[in-house]
Amino acid sequence: MASYIVRRLLGLIPTLFVITVIVFLLMHAMPGNAFMALVYNPKVKDPAALIARLEAQNGLNQPLYIQYFDWLRNVFQGNLGMSQSLNEPVSQAIGQALPNTLLLAVTAEVIILLVSIPIGVLQANRANKGFDITTSFIAVLFYSIPGFVFALILLLFFSFKWNILPSTGTVTPGVSYSGSLGDHIIHLVLPAMALALPSLAYYTRLTRGNTLQVIVADFVRTAKAKGLRTPRILFRHVLRNAIIPLVTQFGFDIGGLFGGAIILEEIFTWPGMGELSINATLSHDYPLILGSTLVFAVTVLIGNLIADILLAVSDPRIRYD
Amino acid sequence: MATQIVQHAVKKPERKVTVGKSPTRLAFERFFRNPLAVAGVIVLSLIILVTIFAPFLTKFSPSTADIMNTDSPPTALHPLGTDASGFDNLARVLYGGRVDLTVAFAAAFMSMFLGTLYGGISGFFGGWVDNIMMRFVDIMLNFPFLILVLALESIFSVQGVWILVFVVGVTAWPGPARLMRGMFLQLREQDYVIGARTIGCSSWRIIFRHMLPNTLSFLIVLVSFSVASYVGLEAALSFLGLGVPLSVPSWGGMLNASTGYIQLTTEPYAWGPPMAMIVLTILSVNFIGDGLRDAFDPQSKA
Repeated sequence: MASYIVRRLLGLIPTLFVITVIVFLLMHAMPGNAFMALVYNPKVKDPAALIARLEAQNGLNQPLYIQYFDWLRNVFQGNLGMSQSLNEPVSQAIGQALPNTLLLAVTAEVIILLVSIPIGVLQANRANKGFDITTSFIAVLFYSIPGFVFALILLLFFSFKWNILPSTGTVTPGVSYSGSLGDHIIHLVLPAMALALPSLAYYTRLTRGNTLQVIVADFVRTAKAKGLRTPRILFRHVLRNAIIPLVTQFGFDIGGLFGGAIILEEIFTWPGMGELSINATLSHDYPLILGSTLVFAVTVLIGNLIADILLAVSDPRIRYD
Repeated sequence: MATQIVQHAVKKPERKVTVGKSPTRLAFERFFRNPLAVAGVIVLSLIILVTIFAPFLTKFSPSTADIMNTDSPPTALHPLGTDASGFDNLARVLYGGRVDLTVAFAAAFMSMFLGTLYGGISGFFGGWVDNIMMRFVDIMLNFPFLILVLALESIFSVQGVWILVFVVGVTAWPGPARLMRGMFLQLREQDYVIGARTIGCSSWRIIFRHMLPNTLSFLIVLVSFSVASYVGLEAALSFLGLGVPLSVPSWGGMLNASTGYIQLTTEPYAWGPPMAMIVLTILSVNFIGDGLRDAFDPQSKA
């Protein structure tokens, strides 16, 4: 197992290489760079000279391949470079934004699993009865509502109409309880809900379908014949077998949740990776674009890896060597 | 036992009637017996008709502002009011569907075409070709989507419907490519393909005459589900301001104008209709997709 993980991690390197090369070429194909805006700054007397000096300082006057390999060499030394728009190291900017996005994504995933698995299993247990039909219909409805629409509806009711939950940021500024655990949690509820709700419906459907396939298996009948209670059969015997496709899907979706978080971060002004990478791209901040690309790609790839590992843990029939 | 034989004898003439129907026809009959799918078809057709005949339903143009009458509440003149720039909301809802639906359908067909071509080649030839091609798909599946959108828009320095179609199509093909590759890998081993190869059919003929028609039902289902997700994607991009320019009406863009506290609490007539249109469109396309899947493949009831 350990050697499998190591080999998979090494296998990420070529993928990351190609992704960063494509992003590097794309961002240099964009017209202009981070310093061009100085032309419009009335306080700068000789913008052309200043821009030339800044470009030289940041190595932008070098051939592209040299720039790329310079960046690559620095990455291997643990240096992601200086952000050209924020005037701070890229690693510092990412270090501030990444925990926020991770917190959002992980909370959403916990909500998804805690709600969708029990509902899906119960639906399958009473397939085509009232509970199943109503919740299935709600699931399709939820599945058809994009996350940002959910976000607006949640904002309207919970923040604006009833004024129970805060609408922006991660903490309430300027109050005595600012930054406490409770403060963090109430700020997390709305964005995490908006991120979780569309996937929730999807996972409920997936759980229901898988459980329906397993529930007719012989070992379930055996367990019933042994006289086990239904909850124990459902959650010990059936679920363990029904959860396998779910786990794979889950790992693949980690990247999707990260991507979905980008839009929600804009709505809830959540200072995460989405805001950072959009601003980086809009201001043509090359080191920051590459740094956040790297973070996104690594997250997706590690999600896939986690999916495979979880699959091996939950299904002993699968062997890796 | 005896009753069973009698039943068979009785049933036989009934079966004879269905023998003449093609599998496609049977699938469509199954589809039209599904009430939710039919409702989806009706709602989607209504939405499409409304956007096509928008000029007959409102006398306002969605891109000429009534500057003296901005942020107007609903009046007899503007049934849904006007937005902050003085655009008529009703006209923007009606015309906005053109952008959303064009992008969704065109991008779905484009990504499906690219995906089928790529996945088909990869699956048909297999071996090392497949290995290299699928490696690239893995990379593209992990590619940061928004950065690509932003970069392409700034490289071509245009914002508009067709650049959006291009961007979504170009970024979305790896998913369908992977699925089609799986289909082709399966079909490749089917007896009729081996048969076609033994009588000396060329690769192109096998792909286009024998394999592609057998993936068609799968493709139709895939297209319908992609349309649903691209309506959401287009709305999300326009919502972020990365979609069509502000002068072009779109449902996501209308929602973008209503995120503030005042708009959201006091102007439900402005954001309600585009929100309802987005959800209704996705919902009806999803029902159609579900219906098509059940109709073409009655065994798979997920």
